[in-house]
Amino acid sequence: MSERGIVSRLRVTLVPCVIGAATFALVAGGFSLALRRAAPVPDMNVLSPKLAAYRDHAADYDTVFIGTSRTFYHIVPDEVETAMEAEGCQRPNVFNFGVFGLTGAEQDWLLGQVLGAGQGALRTVVIEDPLPEARSLDDATNERARFFHAPSDYSATLNSISSFPESAPKKVFRLGIFGAGAAYDLSGVGRAAEFFFPAPVKPAPYAMDMSADGFEILGSITSPDIEARRKDFVDHPEKYDEALARYGAASDEAVESRAVYLEERLRSLKAQGLNAALFVSPDPEELDRTPRVGVELARIAPDLSVMNFNRPDVYPDLFGRSLWFDHSHYGEEGARKLSRLAGAELCRDLKQSDAGGQHAVR
Amino acid sequence: MLFVEPRFFLFFGVVFGLVWILRNNLWRKRVLTLASYVFYGAWDWRFLGLILLITVISYVVGAAASRYPAADRTRKLALTGGIVASLALLGVFKYFNFFADSFVDFAGMMGFSAGSVTLNLVLPVGISFYTFQAISYMVDVHRGDIGARRSFLDVAFYIAFFPQLVAGPIVRASEFIPQMDTARRWADVSVRACLTLFLIGFIKKACISDNIAQYVDVIFADPSSFAASQVIAGVLLYGIQIYCDFSGYSDMAIACAGLLGYKFPANFDSPYLSANIQDFWRRWHISLSSWLRDYLYIPLGGNRRGNGRRDVNLMTTMVLGGLWHGASFNFVIWGFLHGIALIIQRFWHQLVARRVPAMGLLGGFIGGAVTFYWVNLAWIFFRAADLGEALSISQTYLTWSSAGQNVLPIAVWPLLACLGLTHWLSHRFGAQEMIERLAPNRFAVTYGAIVAIAIAFVPLGYRPFIYFQF
Repeated sequence: MSERGIVSRLRVTLVPCVIGAATFALVAGGFSLALRRAAPVPDMNVLSPKLAAYRDHAADYDTVFIGTSRTFYHIVPDEVETAMEAEGCQRPNVFNFGVFGLTGAEQDWLLGQVLGAGQGALRTVVIEDPLPEARSLDDATNERARFFHAPSDYSATLNSISSFPESAPKKVFRLGIFGAGAAYDLSGVGRAAEFFFPAPVKPAPYAMDMSADGFEILGSITSPDIEARRKDFVDHPEKYDEALARYGAASDEAVESRAVYLEERLRSLKAQGLNAALFVSPDPEELDRTPRVGVELARIAPDLSVMNFNRPDVYPDLFGRSLWFDHSHYGEEGARKLSRLAGAELCRDLKQSDAGGQHAVR
Repeated sequence: MLFVEPRFFLFFGVVFGLVWILRNNLWRKRVLTLASYVFYGAWDWRFLGLILLITVISYVVGAAASRYPAADRTRKLALTGGIVASLALLGVFKYFNFFADSFVDFAGMMGFSAGSVTLNLVLPVGISFYTFQAISYMVDVHRGDIGARRSFLDVAFYIAFFPQLVAGPIVRASEFIPQMDTARRWADVSVRACLTLFLIGFIKKACISDNIAQYVDVIFADPSSFAASQVIAGVLLYGIQIYCDFSGYSDMAIACAGLLGYKFPANFDSPYLSANIQDFWRRWHISLSSWLRDYLYIPLGGNRRGNGRRDVNLMTTMVLGGLWHGASFNFVIWGFLHGIALIIQRFWHQLVARRVPAMGLLGGFIGGAVTFYWVNLAWIFFRAADLGEALSISQTYLTWSSAGQNVLPIAVWPLLACLGLTHWLSHRFGAQEMIERLAPNRFAVTYGAIVAIAIAFVPLGYRPFIYFQF
């Protein structure tokens, strides 16, 4: 076949393929976005019942901790309140808004929801450094991930990915997963099915005991995953020592942009007249990262409150192995101990802030 | 690996590319046979040995047929042995527990105590389909419809070819094997027709069957809690579910084979628009009904030995056809109901229809409605988990009364009307042909838009094809 023949044949084959793919992308994207507007917020375990409870009692809470499972299982509102009162602050009413696996885009959305429901009572917001975005296709395509793959969340996700302290190849990989998740969401898979063919038996919405203001003792409600993590922690004591040994080790994963990322969020909260603080929870598995982020933030923004507890040299009492339930979460005793410290430190920071002074780099 | 899963598209893309890159027919057959074993092994690699065993049996019987003259006793013995061995394998895997349990129950009723000998056998996916294809090869070679293949690869390829391996259509050896002799030509592949057929099958399976399955499930799980109108609608929904599920699979299988250059016979022809039950069986699971006709009903004597014998043959064929679907009395009753309907129709045709004037369109409509109602009555036994459940649903279906009050969360009757109208319109105006006749660029735009909308209607989570269990 001549060269012209081959080109002509390729054109005959490829042009309809390109037209078909473009039509598919346009129609699927448009249809998906239209259906997304009509769809309700999905039931997301822990997040949904906490948000509902917070909205119902927003006028009662003046202090909110927003973060990951480290906040969920580590911040005992009663202990924080008592410690703050003991430190000389007015006794606050604290709400624990810790959610498993909270990512950057999710935290931004949650902050918006909390501020929107504040009803004027809210005075202090403590945030945690959110987790990196999805690491696998499963993480990027579940119902919760789909909800947070709205085009309006793209910028928050990209900010979170680009600022996260990790190597360039890892960032590229994470961007790829994000792209796949966004494409999956825009394809609209299942959206019309859910809308036009509602399930005859709806699963009961995730329920939570909110009597502890959002806190839950890890292990009080168990699951195979929780049990497996606990078993691994019990069976492998050497891993704990190895994790502690990583503290202070040299790392080529730069934390500067993450500190800037967190500073922006804290300053945005302060601009709205709120007290804002960063909570860096003890977590042996993150000893090579989160302490450095906290230190860097305190360095570039000394006026901001940074409660950097993930430092065994500064808080050795928080790193006794018996306090831990698994490799990165406390049991009840550890949570209460940390909460008392956090309450006291938060109170001191607030008083210092009221006095207009700069926070010491702790 | 389901036709609607992303991994199938990846698998098919690789196979498709390899087949058309290769020029040599022998290598293409090798690739397709190997791919078919990979496809089947994705379910359970242990049963690859079963397919290979059935292939060896078929090959040996074919070789015997080519070695001995037609009337030779050894040749007939080989054929009988091959069929018995194939059916024995099918029987062990599919029917052993059923007959063993039935025997124990029967012995108990007679006052004897018999120990249970039930085996925990896993039913190999598609065993009924490839066993029937193997029998088709042996019989067709024995009858001289095709020559025995000297190449073992050819027999293996015919039995294992992945588009039809697990749920048909049951392709006759005489239809398929001649296609193997020459390398398929890309120029002969009607790409738009195949793509359109695949999309139609995909929509039937993933967008219709899988969505309505959830309503059928809840109604069949607890029929007494639902209002009569909902139970009746649930039965009709199941009729639509199984049609869309099975014909959707067949459409996709035919389309995949077509894209690889092979032609399969049609397996469905709008069966719910049939005017009578005989017509229905000419249009429903055509490859099985014609197989049963040619390899069972006619060898039994067909209609050549008088009316009484004909009715017995008919009932035997339908009951065995029911039993082919699964080892359960529900399937026997399903076959029996169809057998009864066929006998009544013949009786009606002989004694009544000839003496009253033709009723034209109205007659066709009434006949179609009665057929549809009866076919769905039979589906109750096909779907129900046990006889008690089937009888409970049948009672509501026939009396139109139920003490239950529950309703489904959708407007089920408008949905049924909508699906019925779409079916009729697409049959009446040839929607498939209209799409595949479009100019390439218009076809691309139409196809891209339909795929985009269809994907939104695919429920999350896959349901296996209903006929995989057979």
